[in-house]
Amino acid sequence: MEQKQTSVVKTPRNSDGAQRSSYRQSYRSYVGAVSRLGLTSALTARRLNTSRRAPRAHNITDKVSPEHLAVLVKKEWQLSYVTPLFQFRHTQLKRYSQQLSAFIAAERQGVAVEVEEPQHSFKASFSVVHGMAEAEEDAETILIQVHSKHHFSRRDDPEKCVWSGWLACINGSPEYIRSLPKDFICLPLFGSSGGDPLTSSVKSWFQQTFDCCFGSLEINHTSLQWLGSLWTNCQPESNIQHLKMIWAVPVVPPLQITYTVNPQDAWELWTCVRKDAQVEKEGEEEEEEEEEGIIDIEEVNMFMQELKSHFYRHFKLDLSAGNLVQVSTALGSAKTSGRIKISNSRYMISTLTLLTECALLKMPV
Amino acid sequence: MAAKLSLSGPSDSDTSSPSDQSVSGRSVNRSLRIAEKERRKNEAEDPFVLALKYFSDVEPGTPVNGNDQLERNLVCVEKVAYSKGLHPEAISIMLEFAMSLRMGSSPCVRVLKCLIPSSVVPQEAVVRAVVWLGIGKIPISTQVLFIKWVLTVFDMIDAKDQLRAIYGFIFSFVTEENLCPFICHLLYLLTRKESVRVFRVRKLLELQSKVGRQPFLMHLLSLYKVFCPELVTLSIPSPMKNAFRNHNSPWKSALLAVQKRNGSQVSSSSLSLTAKDKTNSRKRKHCHLEVPALNSAVNKQAQTDSCSSRKVVPLVQIHSFAQLLENMHRIELPAQMGSLLGSSLTLQFLDCVQDESALLRLNSWLGYALHEEFLFCNDAGSFQNSEEALQFLEKLLSTLHFRQEGFSSIEVFLYKFLNAWDGSLLRPQILGLMSNIPVVTSSQIGQFLFEPLMQLFFTSSLFFKCGLMECLNNMLLKWLTWHSVYALEDDLDISLNSHTSINITLSGFKDSVMELVHFVGRLATVGLQLEGCHSLLLSFILDFYETVCDMFLKYGLPLVVMPPPGVFYPALFAADPVSVDRLAYIMYRYKVNLTSAKRQEKLKEQAFHISRQTFHEFNHYVVVMVNCLWNSKMFHQGMGVQLGEEVLLKSNVPQYSNSFDLIHHPAFLSYAVDFHQKCWPGRKDMDLNSIKHSKPWRWYLEYLFTQGYDGLKQFVQSNISWQPIAGDGGSDDLATQQR
Repeated sequence: MEQKQTSVVKTPRNSDGAQRSSYRQSYRSYVGAVSRLGLTSALTARRLNTSRRAPRAHNITDKVSPEHLAVLVKKEWQLSYVTPLFQFRHTQLKRYSQQLSAFIAAERQGVAVEVEEPQHSFKASFSVVHGMAEAEEDAETILIQVHSKHHFSRRDDPEKCVWSGWLACINGSPEYIRSLPKDFICLPLFGSSGGDPLTSSVKSWFQQTFDCCFGSLEINHTSLQWLGSLWTNCQPESNIQHLKMIWAVPVVPPLQITYTVNPQDAWELWTCVRKDAQVEKEGEEEEEEEEEGIIDIEEVNMFMQELKSHFYRHFKLDLSAGNLVQVSTALGSAKTSGRIKISNSRYMISTLTLLTECALLKMPV
Repeated sequence: MAAKLSLSGPSDSDTSSPSDQSVSGRSVNRSLRIAEKERRKNEAEDPFVLALKYFSDVEPGTPVNGNDQLERNLVCVEKVAYSKGLHPEAISIMLEFAMSLRMGSSPCVRVLKCLIPSSVVPQEAVVRAVVWLGIGKIPISTQVLFIKWVLTVFDMIDAKDQLRAIYGFIFSFVTEENLCPFICHLLYLLTRKESVRVFRVRKLLELQSKVGRQPFLMHLLSLYKVFCPELVTLSIPSPMKNAFRNHNSPWKSALLAVQKRNGSQVSSSSLSLTAKDKTNSRKRKHCHLEVPALNSAVNKQAQTDSCSSRKVVPLVQIHSFAQLLENMHRIELPAQMGSLLGSSLTLQFLDCVQDESALLRLNSWLGYALHEEFLFCNDAGSFQNSEEALQFLEKLLSTLHFRQEGFSSIEVFLYKFLNAWDGSLLRPQILGLMSNIPVVTSSQIGQFLFEPLMQLFFTSSLFFKCGLMECLNNMLLKWLTWHSVYALEDDLDISLNSHTSINITLSGFKDSVMELVHFVGRLATVGLQLEGCHSLLLSFILDFYETVCDMFLKYGLPLVVMPPPGVFYPALFAADPVSVDRLAYIMYRYKVNLTSAKRQEKLKEQAFHISRQTFHEFNHYVVVMVNCLWNSKMFHQGMGVQLGEEVLLKSNVPQYSNSFDLIHHPAFLSYAVDFHQKCWPGRKDMDLNSIKHSKPWRWYLEYLFTQGYDGLKQFVQSNISWQPIAGDGGSDDLATQQR
């Protein structure tokens, strides 16, 4: 590893021909990006998966520690995408905690700060959330918390958590992750909760330390529809209580329509849609066992279409003209601005899988 | 005192006079100084030499008041100092005299003020003086004056190794409140990685807590951060200029004057060092377009601590090309690779970076910036902020131009962006980026480039069409240049080994080029129809074919592709003579390329193959051109343009088969008329056909060629065997290449 870092500049071995070895090699490098990433199929047309596994109730409480789950589940997170982190090591978290604490102190107070000083007014701590990674290529989730210490608080007062965030990769595209050199860790999904100044401090520390970039991750119309359907699908196992959708209709003045569906009604509609689709598929090919648990985009679209036509029948308003901006159930809520709240940890993984996919779609390289 | 003196001590300190001590150490200057001594003997009577002798020998405790000798000698030294400057030895003597307080502190200030070096300042003198600072009872204001002097002449000190050796000693003065700003500046100039220690960091931080965030402290600390980011962290507020306020030093003007007079120019960069700090206080709205600042990496260093014997130099510390060359093998990559785009110096370095991870980091940042600005557009109306985007793209273009190589992230971005582009936003820049796209394999080129470009081309203005033609021409030129460089470099006999893998990539390259040329052919054909054969568009298209026709000879690519009829005929029948001339030139180059290719083909066994079809097309075009321009057989059988006899008769054009020869061609008609008038000034009725006769025909051609139609000339000379004297026009002959 050390070797690799120091040899960034290769001295030509003997003559000028050394670094431009052959026509074939240089051709390969010259043909460039497209072939390197092997994204020959649809570089310009990368889309969300059109079918995904139905969320199964994970026994995630067995794998992930309850403290960590408690942190992840309670809050509403603002999402960002992150380009791959350069030389991030899960083994160096203690040092990162120290550095980030010092960095925040320096940013906050505008003074120089010694990194190893133990008494910063803000204390950042990194920890690994074990048990979240699903696929073999997924890097373990990282949780970051910033505690503040009041000047006047007594020594034994508990420190108050003023900011928290996490970096995750759940079921990330193995092709993409494998295409990265091994100095890079892919944790494309970043959620943060807390004051904006702290968020931007943490982001800029990451940018300067791991040479990565943060961009905001909005949850688009299609993804919201997916979430609504996936959550509805859980109704028999755990009561979703309601399916609430907010639509923004582009009229003057802007109109927001909140459309709440009774959970049982939503479930019944969903099963009808599922059954129709299954029957159709069965007619084509008889592979029912394998189709079980796989939800197709067609079904999602049909479900939404039915919900919209129901609304039209009552209010003579076609929601297709508008945009779905928020979906919420008892399992969680998601907003188009990229805010997400996961209320039930049992179905967290499928939600995060979808969001990881959204984040990976945003990767510039 | 003795101990301290020996610390800075000269190696041959047995010489008694302090003036000789400066001779020590620097063997480089030794010979110079021997010569100096010689001269000194000759000038034993010089009052300046006597004055120096006085100052080096004067007994401690000599009274100052009413001392005429002192006054006389001091005035003498001052006169020399302000006119010519003091030579190194004189500096040593005078500095030693002043700092040792041999005659108290009152002459000290006056001496310091006249210490104008003529060439260099001996390091030993400075070191000794610094030592005096620690032991003498020099008033604080004089101490400040001395440090200011050191800062002023810092770049003229002949070496800095001993000064660095007493870094800790100098550091101890930071606690002195009045000295601190100047000491910090001096330390800033002397600091090396090994000088940065935890206890020094703590000391400075402790000072900071006492005096607040003073710019001089912050600046020194920020340098410490450059070397040891794992020890100290700070955020530099943007208005950080004037960290060290020493610009008003009393010696500056005198020094400049002396240097001017001596004709030497020792740049004193140490003073201006902080003035050039970027004043980037303007808060940017879109920070993603901001090139990150150059910082040294935190984690890498910590990890390589184990092998710290290997000295690395942070890129931040490199300020000149010479330094870059010197340290090339041990430069440490910055924390953020994007920062390399910030200056031309770092770009030089980027050119040598081969590390895949480093390039991926750079590409990630670049791709991120482009995507956020042009594709995701999160904050509404970022397109309105196109001034910033414009500057960013311009910078990117100049980087590409400098590197002669693209970035894969730009390529990926463009493939996405072309589908969203309206063809007018930042058109020159986007087209510029596009022309830098490296070779695209023929299987992908259609989907990534041609489809979006075709849509844009057919729906955009004439100027876009011209711009795109130019862009594609540049792209082709870059591909071909790349090919010729690598094909030559590998000393590759392209035509051989048709079954090795090398040939596969060569044929892959050929396929890509062919795809591109055909694509442009299609665009050009339809574009010319849409725009009514606009001569501007035609000109850009002919530019492209000027590149294409010479691919074999100029770039060594065994490929000849003819233009489609949709380009050939509009150019041949163009109303402006320049287009016809250029077409003639292009056809001439095609002929030269084809004959040369054919010769090579015969020469070698396994020759590359240029298809019969290509020869056929070429021959056909040449026959058409010759028949049309020369033989006046415009609508004959076998020509490209065929019209029924009755249609032609209906048109009522007399002698229609003549209508595109060199006389009647709309592009040349005015020349024919002009020629006719010059040839037969007396004739009242103009009969252009009379030019057809052999003699005037020859004159007419000469006349056309003198008008600068070299392409036409070359075409005629290479394709038509033409004996103008021999007889009438009937003897003119086709000599096109047949196969």
